[in-house]
Formats: sequence, C-alpha cells, structure tokens
Amino acid sequence: MNAIMSTMVNETLPPEVVELLNSTDGAAFEQALDSMVRQREQHLFRALGVLARDLHGAVCRLGSDLANEGVPESMTDARNYLAEVLDMSSKAAHRSLDFVDRMRPEADALSANAAAVLDHNSNPDDPSAALARQAQVFAGACAEGLNDMVLVQSWQDLAGQRVKKVVAFIESVESSLLELVRLTGALAGREAPVEVAKVSSQDEVDRLLSEFGF
Amino acid sequence: MKILVVDDFSTMRRIVRNLLVELGFSNPLIQEADDGNNALAMLKSNPFDMVVTDWNMPNMTGIELLQAIRAEPKLKGMPVLMVTAENNREQIIAAAQAGVNGYIVKPFTAVTLKEKLDKIFERLAASGASA
Repeated sequence: MNAIMSTMVNETLPPEVVELLNSTDGAAFEQALDSMVRQREQHLFRALGVLARDLHGAVCRLGSDLANEGVPESMTDARNYLAEVLDMSSKAAHRSLDFVDRMRPEADALSANAAAVLDHNSNPDDPSAALARQAQVFAGACAEGLNDMVLVQSWQDLAGQRVKKVVAFIESVESSLLELVRLTGALAGREAPVEVAKVSSQDEVDRLLSEFGF
Repeated sequence: MKILVVDDFSTMRRIVRNLLVELGFSNPLIQEADDGNNALAMLKSNPFDMVVTDWNMPNMTGIELLQAIRAEPKLKGMPVLMVTAENNREQIIAAAQAGVNGYIVKPFTAVTLKEKLDKIFERLAASGASA
C-alpha cells in the first residue's frame, strides 16, 4: 500500500521535491523546504504589493478623471472638502438660529400687544379688534414655526456626525492600504519604512509606495 | 438651576440651550463644553445641578464622561441626561449600566426634552424623599 502511494506521489511531484523527500540529510531537507516556502511567499507578497499599488493608483486616477467635474483629486482633498461641508452647514445653521433669536421676541411682543388691544376692545365687529385677533393668531403661528426651525437645525449635527464617520473611514482605508504596502514590501525582502502610520500627504503616500517598487 | 451642555457641535449646544430656555430654564445659568475633558474640568471646579451631554465627541466621549462623573465622589450624584444620535441597543444598555438618568435620541422636540427632564426630577425627588 505504502509502496503504491509512494509511487503515485513520486509521479506527480517535481523531481527536486522527490529528491528532497528521499534525502537522509535532515538539515539540508529543512533548508530546502524553507527556501521553497520563502520563494512562494515572496511571489505572494509581491503580487499583493502590486495589487495594493494598482488599487491606490486606481483611487488616484478615479479622482483625477473626475476632477473636471469638481471631484477631489486625492484623499487629502476629499478630507478638506468634507471639512468645508461641515463648516458651511454649521454656519448656515447658526444663521438660521440667529434669525430665530431675532424673530422670537418680535413674535412675543406682537402677541402681547394684540392681547392688550383685545383687553380694551374685544368687539368682533370692530376692525381694530379683528386685526388684533388676526395678529395674535399670526404671532402664535410664528412662534410655533420658529420652534420647528430650531428643531430642523439639529439635522446639521446629525449630518455632521455622518461626515465625521466618512472622514474616519477614508483615513482607515488609506492607512490600511499603506500598511498592506509596508507589510508586503517588508515580507518581499525589502526594509520596512519607519512611522508608516504618520504618512499623511499625497506626496508622502506616493513616495512610500515607490520605495517598494509598487 | 445650573446646567452644563456638552456637545462638540456648536449648533447642537445652541439648540439644546434654546430648548432649555424655552422650557423656562435661565439662559445665563446654562454653560457649554465642547468635549468630555473640558466638561469634567468645569464640573470639578464649578457647582452644577445637571449635565446634558452628547455621546460622540473627540478626546472624551459622553459615556466616558458619565463614567468619570459616577467615579468622582463629589460628582457621582449629578443627574446626567444623554442626548445622542446613537440609538442602538448596546449603547443604550451601556449608558443605563453606567448610571445615566435619561436618554434622548436626536433629533428631538422640546416636548420630549421636557418629558425626560420631568421624569428625572420626579425620580430624584422620590429618591430624596425615601432617603
């Protein structure tokens, strides 16, 4: 049985492996095995490195292809754009809240003045009383509308939180990509660069990638 | 009543302040902090009666602030109302376990805020009476 299996194995394996299997020198066997595994790993890591480089290139190209349509060219640009969105939406929300702060006392005063008029004259046939009643209804509707307006501005905070999450996601994708390049570069026999996590500008990213020949 | 409003978004701090004033709280007694660290420093150096805090903030989050308040002998009884966009089960449970007094999911109305505040004060009054 063993003899049959050994024959089958021998027929399907490359000659150098068969030779290795038949070798009686333990140290030589280990060494040859290590070298084969290393060779295979290097192929794998080099392939991964090329893949990472291609992926990064594709992300950059996608950016520059769409740049004419106002799309950011790099991840740094994307982050800046998102920061601007946060800033603009915050300013807009504050201006709406300024408006509410200005209008609320006006609405309250109108309501109080109308009430004072109605205290003296509530005759429904009198035009000034009718106008006062109308003003009171309007002031009430304004106060309610202003409250709604304040509430709606809280969406700025919610939208802002989503934007912050997207920024964090972009950063994690970028640092994972760089970590992959560093890892594959190191495992493919090149020296690992120092402080990869601190790489931030697009130039640094490109320089790091090219250091590994990707 | 001195209230500390904690949120990293100035818009939200202003809205919460606005709603609290609408509910009758005194505007000059409301103070603001933009993260948990600053809030904790303010709470340690000034007397406050209540904290209204967001969850997601840089440096120190709302839940970390809550835990720090409960761990501080001088502050541990401070009522803390969490006002947050985080509405998943685990986070609500974590806040409850950390000893939150109330939990409001954004966006919310003055009516919801009033309900939660009333409930907090009712419970505090009841526990104060039984103590």
